[in-house]
Formats: sequence, structure tokens, C-alpha cells
Amino acid sequence: MDTTTATTPMNLENSPAFTFTASTFQKLHPIEYFRKFVSQGVRPDGRLLNGFRPTTVHVGVITTANGSAMVRLGGTTVVCGIKAEVAEPKLDSPDQGYLVPNVDLSPMCSSAFRPGPPGEQAQVVSDAINRVLKESKVLDLKDLCIEEGKAVWTLWVDIVCVSYDGNIYDAALASVMAALANVRIRNPSYAGGIIKVAGGEAISDENSFRLKLNRTPLSSSFALFDTSLTLLADPNFAEESISQGQISITIDEHDELCAVSKIGAGSSSQALLRQCVDRARERSKELRAIMSAQ
Amino acid sequence: MASINPSEDQDQQSTEPRIVLPGDELPPTETGLVEDAATLAPTIKLGPGLQPMDDDTIAAVKAGVLKHASVGNRWWIESNQRRYVSVAGENVIGVVLGKTVEHYKLDIGTAQPALLGVLAFEGATKRNKPNHNVGDLLYCRISLANKDMEAELECFNPTTGKADGYGELKSGFVIKTSLGLARRLLDPKSLILRLLGKHIPFETAIGMNGKVWINSGSTKHTILICNAIRNSEYLNERECSTMVKSLVDKL
Amino acid sequence: MSRPDRSRTSAHQLRPFFSSQNLLNRADGSAQFDFGGSSVMCSVVGPAEVRIRDEKLDRATIEVVARPLVGIPSIKEKAREQNIRETLEPLILSGLHPRTGIQIVVQTMKDDGCILSTAFNATIMALMDAGIPLKSILGSVTCMVDEKTNQIWLDPTTEELAQAKSAHVFVFDNKSSITSASAGAQGKDADVDMDQDTVGAAILFSDSTGLFTEEQYFECAQICFKAAQAIHGFIRTAIAKKLEKEYQQTHA
Repeated sequence: MDTTTATTPMNLENSPAFTFTASTFQKLHPIEYFRKFVSQGVRPDGRLLNGFRPTTVHVGVITTANGSAMVRLGGTTVVCGIKAEVAEPKLDSPDQGYLVPNVDLSPMCSSAFRPGPPGEQAQVVSDAINRVLKESKVLDLKDLCIEEGKAVWTLWVDIVCVSYDGNIYDAALASVMAALANVRIRNPSYAGGIIKVAGGEAISDENSFRLKLNRTPLSSSFALFDTSLTLLADPNFAEESISQGQISITIDEHDELCAVSKIGAGSSSQALLRQCVDRARERSKELRAIMSAQ
Repeated sequence: MASINPSEDQDQQSTEPRIVLPGDELPPTETGLVEDAATLAPTIKLGPGLQPMDDDTIAAVKAGVLKHASVGNRWWIESNQRRYVSVAGENVIGVVLGKTVEHYKLDIGTAQPALLGVLAFEGATKRNKPNHNVGDLLYCRISLANKDMEAELECFNPTTGKADGYGELKSGFVIKTSLGLARRLLDPKSLILRLLGKHIPFETAIGMNGKVWINSGSTKHTILICNAIRNSEYLNERECSTMVKSLVDKL
Repeated sequence: MSRPDRSRTSAHQLRPFFSSQNLLNRADGSAQFDFGGSSVMCSVVGPAEVRIRDEKLDRATIEVVARPLVGIPSIKEKAREQNIRETLEPLILSGLHPRTGIQIVVQTMKDDGCILSTAFNATIMALMDAGIPLKSILGSVTCMVDEKTNQIWLDPTTEELAQAKSAHVFVFDNKSSITSASAGAQGKDADVDMDQDTVGAAILFSDSTGLFTEEQYFECAQICFKAAQAIHGFIRTAIAKKLEKEYQQTHA
């Protein structure tokens, strides 16, 4: 949709003295500008209110990693790389490996982020992904055991945002799930306190193993706009910055919910949440189709 | 929605205090804002703690006791807090933080320092004006308060132009109390000040910003008075007199 | 039927809760809230001066700092900070105090599960103590679904949470509660009455993890809403008690 077609901030007949172009209006009154679109049931980028941005998923984009994936969600691009390393298990869980997700939002992806230690948003998204992976038992950490009490695998799940245009959680979680499904780890051998991981020859089904994923949770996020709490599916950066709150629904392929979060804005009715769950169900099916088409 | 029970008697003196929490609505039947109200008043005056909401109702925004005065149909909430928010016309005690050519900057306990014009004293002229240094204590009146600006102060009574007690407080001691306690101390019938006055002569200046200045003949007495005032906040009448008596006996 | 926490007979029973306000001398407002063996202390400073970088021209800047029981803050605390801040921002009438800062510090004192809920309740009490203008109050309750029995347990302990299939934190404001169920001042064994059916209470904040169905989620919301009403009632009683003490001289 061409944004210049929505020029009029005021009624032209009544106040001809004062008009500005759409882009000026957008800069001066971003919320009022957005309201005009929402009242017509569309958004400035041409999407319907419940429309998600075009999504692409590529796996195996980093050849040096054990598993990797790149997800594009409109203008948001995230790359997830998973590296397996041998580590000593904890004393109270001698047969369990580690799964350590970390989200990096550097100044490279948006000027909204400052260099230095991870900001609040990066930490919060890392925590959310970590909780979904652990609480929803995506992976049995016992599968990562090499020798009980001696050696286990640590999976370093690094999620790097390359380009930030809102809804980082959905993109990051999708990239993690695609990368986890892509992981191949060479079979280790344990003898006399030494772990050997054979290298050299090309990786194949004989000398490596894949992870057994119990489920693939995928999330769908909605921004809550205005006091009317209008739902905006898959908000971009501009929409995120003018919205009051967010609802995220994480759902797996067996139609079980893995996480629900509603934060910010005023009280929202349960009907609104049900609406989100319904839309998230459709969306996760679409996204799953995109991911399996890979 | 828990609303304020409308069946209660209007007279605040004779009934239990009506406790409201943030979000409790003021029923329109009582405020006289609807047609069929018992007291038909065209206007309503809202004091501290009450705000008109987006949905045209009036709701409490603070926890406290709901008060009503039929004269002028005024409603407000009496609540206690420690942080001062400036209100025009209130008397406060401030500490000089700094001085520019035109203003003194005073700490009166608000988020931003308040401004006191260097000429805002009785009879001050460009040639002849009082000089105050950083750390001085001034008793002033808030002449202008606005949420978007620093408060402005003056050290004279605007109706007479006389000092009327405003100005520097020399020697003595200042304590910080809650705003509610400061308000109670300003009551001429204030219990604790009456009790203390029976035993020790002293002078005091009380700012609505919770700063209380005490001066008496000896340091010992000043400290006793400060402690007694601070201790009195949550005591009833009997406990207060016992407390004062035990403090005075120890002298 | 029975749950690991032996002190409670019913699955839909809260632990005894308790609170006290105005504990810290130097803060503008403070409160402590306990849910059985969990306790959170909250202090509020503000409206006070704010760093120029964080200053907002049309409203107050709200900063939340969460401190763990031991050690240095981790990403868990960062998430808690964001949860509390973004839930309170629409509740605080920050437009009344432009260009100022309101700092809220949430310190865990004892941890036996449900820290986020305890922190929410402590925060609202501290904000009221500080006299920060609020649109409404809130009440927060956590519940979980037991892995083996699929039973919903209200206000679980750490021990119970270890066998949770899913855990749900809810916050409700007092705008949507029609009756303020009064629980005694000590909140002793506030058993939540499950008979009456309330239609879809509006949810202020929700955070759920684990594995659960849509039906389970909304069932949990309903149970927590009823319990949150008991919290609202308790807050009212607690405030009344405090005000009584303050006004005993004026009414004497």
C-alpha cells in the first residue's frame, strides 16, 4: 500500500490552511497516524491487523557450527548457531547435559541498542527462550550424556540478531527450533577418562547423531495498541514502540500450549486472549509448513 | 469494582472514617453530578487524591480517608506520605542549595529544587537585599506550583508585603517527618506539642513538606522535643502522655 | 487429593499471607509481603530527581530493580524487573509527575516459590505507602498443574513446583472484581470459594510456562482470579488497620 495516499491528518474542506504530507504527519503524531490506519483495518505496511510478515527459514547456514538456521520475519533477521562442546556435568545431575541459549542484540542490528553488556531486552528474550526449552521439555537433557558423571555435551545456542525490526522473540524461537532440528554431533567415544570425537572424514549418519526433539514450540506475538487493545499480529519496530503491551502465545505441534505471556497495557478480557490463541494456532501451522519445506 | 458505600452518613465527624483505595469510584449520586442526586450541586471541587478518569468517573488515586465538605461540594482524600509534592500557598522549610544572580535554589523535598527570587523578601531592593549562604534554613511560602516546573517560593506575605515570620531560621534543629505528621502538628490543638509545652518552653516552625524546625534553650531539650515528636506519630493520646512524661523524667 | 504441602488441606488454598507497610526509614514508601515461606520487601523512592538521560517530558520514569535472595542479579531478575515495570506503567498515573523518577526496589527476603506474585503484591503496597497516584490496585497469585494428578494447586511451594507440569502467574486489578472478599487481617487460611462462577475476569498480567491446554489455562485464570479477590480484600483491611493507627489522635 502506498503511504502517500493517506495524506489527510484533518478534514481538508474544513481546514485548508494546514496540511502536511503523510511522512510529516507520521513523524509529528506517530500514534494518531497509526490510529487512522487501524480504524480502516490495515497497517501502514499494507498488512491486515492479524497478518504476519513474510517469513523465510534457511537451515545449515553456518557450516562450522553443529547446527544453524537463519529466520527472516519481514525486516527482522536472526541467525542461530549451535555449537556442541564437551563439559563436566553438575554433581546433582550427573547424566544431564547443558542447553544454554543466549540472545545477542548488538548495535549492528538497530540503533536502538547500545554497545556493551547485554541490555534488558536481550536478557529477557534469552530467559524466555531458556524457560520454554526447559519447562516444555523440548529436549531430554539425558540425551546429551556421554559418560555419566564424567562427560556430557553442552549446547551453546547463540542467537544473533542481524537486523532488528520488531518481534524478536518469535524470530529467535523459530531459529532456535530450526537449528536444533539441524544439529548433528559426531559420536564420541569414552575410554579411560578420555573423550575422543573423531574428525576428518565427512559427517554422515554413521559417525554422528541427531537430537531427538520431543516437540517444536513456536510462538506468535501480538502488540496491544491503544486503550481499545487492538491486536496487531507480529508487530514491527515502529508498532512495538507505540504499543502499550504484548501478548505472546507459544504452541507446539500437538496443540499444547508451551507458554503464554501477557504484559503491559491495561486489563485485557479473556476473550481477547482466546482470540490470540486461535490465531497463534493457525500461524504456528503456517510457520511449521515453512520450516518443514526446508 | 469496589465502590464507596453510598448509604453512609455524610457527616464525617460522627461516622467511621471512610477508607478508600486507588481505583475506588466516587458514586455520582453522592457528588451531585447526576440529575436525581439528593444534593443538587452543579460543580464539584476535587482535592488531593481524587482524579477524573478516562471513563468520566471520579476515582481515588491514593489510599486514605475520604473527606467531604458540603460548602462548595468539595471532596478530597486525606492520606499520608513522605515525599512532598509542591502546592501553591503552602508554607515550607527549605535548605539553600545554591545561589544564582536571580534565584536561590532550595531543597524543599520535592523532585526538583525550588526557586526563591533574591528579591522575594520583605522590603528587598536591588541595592538592599538579604544575603543567604548554602546550608541556610529558610521558612517560605510556595507562590507558584506547577507539575511541569520547579516550584517558586517567596519570603513575605503577599497580601501585606511583610515578612510575617518568613525568612531565615537561625540556630535550632530540623527533623524530617511524614507529611501527615507535619499536618497534624500544624493543628493548634496538636496533642504532642501541647504536652511538650507543659514541660519545656520552645519555638517551632512546621513546613508542610514534613520539615520541622525546633529551637529551645538547650540542646538537650531540643533533642528531647525532636524525639518526642517523631515517636508520637503512631501513638494514641494516653501513650503519648506516658511517652512525654518518661522522656521528661529522664532529664 | 493431598498435596506435598502438609499445612494445607485443599488444592485451592492460599498459604497464610501477611504484610506490613512503612518499614524502611529512608525510603518514601516500603512494604513487605509474605506468602507462607516466601517473602519480598519492596521500597519506593519518588517522585524524585531522575538522570537527564532517562527524563521523560510528559511523565515520570519508572525504574524497577529486582534483587535476588543471594548473589548478584541474573537474567531471571532482569525478566522480573521487566514484568513488574511494564505491568505497573499503565497503573501509575505518571503524567501527574512529569520529569521525575520513581524507583522501585524489589528484594527477595525468603524464597519458597511464587516470588513474582509476592513481589507484585509487595510492590503495590509500597506504592500506596509512598502515595504514588494509582489508577487501581492489583493482586497477584500463582498456581500450577500437578504432573501426576493434573490437579490445579494454588500458591505452590518450591517443593510442589518441582513436580509441576505447568506454572501460571496471574495479576488482576480491582476494577474487574465485583466483590472484595474480606479475608481476616492475617489472611488466615483464606479458602477460596469455588461455587460461584465469574465470567471471564480481565487479566492484567499473565505468565505461564510448561505444557498445558487452552482449557487448563483459563481454568487456572479463574481460580487465580478468585484468590486475587481475597488478596484485594486483604490489602483493604491492611490499609484500614494502618490508617486507624495514624488517625487515632485526630479522632480521640
